[in-house]
Amino acid sequence: MVPPARTPLRPDRLRTLNLPKRVLVEVDACGDPETVRSVASGDDARNAKQAIVAEVFETWRVNDEWWRIPIRRQYAEVLLEGGKHVMLFEDLETGEWFMQRV
Amino acid sequence: MTASFGIHSEDSEHDLRAHGHVGAHGCVPPRPSANAACLWIPLYALHCEERRRPELADRPTALLTPEDSRRIWLAAPQARREGVRSGMTVSQAIGLCPSLTLLEPDPVHYDEQFAHLLTELENISPVIEPAELGRVFIGVDGLEGLIGGPAEQLAAIQAVADGPGRPAGRLGWGKGKFVAWVAAARAKPGRPVIVPPADRSAFLQSQPIAVLPLHPDNHRRLTQLGLHTLADLVALPEAAVVAQFGREGRAAWRLAAGTVDEPVTGRVRPQPISASLDFPAPVADRGLLTHTIAVLIEHALRDPRRTGWRVQTVRVRAALEQEGSWMIEAILKDPSALRDRIAAPLHARLDQTPPTGAIEHLAVEFTSFVRGTDELQLFARDAVAAARAGRRRALRAAALEIQTRLRRQSLYRVIEVQPWSRLPERRYALIAFEH
Repeated sequence: MVPPARTPLRPDRLRTLNLPKRVLVEVDACGDPETVRSVASGDDARNAKQAIVAEVFETWRVNDEWWRIPIRRQYAEVLLEGGKHVMLFEDLETGEWFMQRV
Repeated sequence: MTASFGIHSEDSEHDLRAHGHVGAHGCVPPRPSANAACLWIPLYALHCEERRRPELADRPTALLTPEDSRRIWLAAPQARREGVRSGMTVSQAIGLCPSLTLLEPDPVHYDEQFAHLLTELENISPVIEPAELGRVFIGVDGLEGLIGGPAEQLAAIQAVADGPGRPAGRLGWGKGKFVAWVAAARAKPGRPVIVPPADRSAFLQSQPIAVLPLHPDNHRRLTQLGLHTLADLVALPEAAVVAQFGREGRAAWRLAAGTVDEPVTGRVRPQPISASLDFPAPVADRGLLTHTIAVLIEHALRDPRRTGWRVQTVRVRAALEQEGSWMIEAILKDPSALRDRIAAPLHARLDQTPPTGAIEHLAVEFTSFVRGTDELQLFARDAVAAARAGRRRALRAAALEIQTRLRRQSLYRVIEVQPWSRLPERRYALIAFEH
């Protein structure tokens, strides 16, 4: 058989895009995010930046891969003060919050 | 199978000359018209059915969607009063209105009826621009000397639109298509609305936001922002609207402000080349249909009038067993004179919207063309391929230079990994750029 002419993809050389970044989030009484604080390496509080959530557009939940390592996330698409449009999610397995680009 | 083939034209050179817009092969569009009249016949397809079957006139009726026979396309006023709406499923509609009469759509019939109306309107003005089934713009520049002012022009159009058995249309007159369309939407049957150029701004400012041609999401956003009339929108700076709604917002703001006039551009009258076939027994087999369409395309391509022209729009029409009809149309992004290229989008359409019954008569029509030959297409393909190869070479050279300078891998390209994943980080990845 003639091998395909394309350069084979090597999964070991792939770099993931849009990896979630760990953040600290304060929520209101309804559970919607109110403030977001970035977590610098080593949890250095002096380097942490805080942003206020101006608007919560949409929230949804993802329950997936229950047959392997369960993934349970509560997502919120938000607009931060200053105009940054991001996605926040709470890992319901660990209680930690993360931020991603939309 | 005995089949009768016949390639024939549905228009004649003589007929086109009579309208004074003959070009090489077919015709060129007439000169655009700044002033426009708009004739709008709401629920046109339903009216066509009622004309054919008068007994339906007093019943709650609804037409099914041509693409999906489980959904409602158009609902008659009696059905709407019971809550039936376009887009509903049939079961929802029957639940709301148990006496609802459902009709299979007959797009070929509606298209033919509308084409007759357009042909008659061309007796008034050669500048005719159909917008959708039941809505057409008529260029009225230069008719003052022939017919009279706007009122007389609309009366002449009304006389055509009110032909025997035709539903009552609504008529609007104004400078540019948008003003004419809004005027027609505000008119009542038999009572046209004329917007003189001096009154255009005042007329537009009082109209609701809903008249703007915007995506429904943008309509909703405008309403949520408290903007209810065109005056509210125009009161905002154009730049602010563009910042929020982009190009669509800019076009809407300019229409609302009356700073743009969209003239009626007229249409190139199609001079179709068609090939048709009568099946001795109705055919429903998909494979046979695909093959027959390919054969008919080949026959139509051999028509001498096609020489020097590439096909841009191709249509397949069929008469179904039990009096129904079926039609699919494809506009080729890359006009072609090659059978397989013309057939490919039709096969996709055939899979999406297969005929609802067995076919007795099948016809392939080429309805619009662009200049060019196979050789030109080959040249164009070569030119595109050469340009692409040139870009790749330049990119490879630049990548090599960057890597030589930085002495490490620093260029990546984005590839799709699991674009369907619900977890954003799994959708795309970076991979080293190979040069």
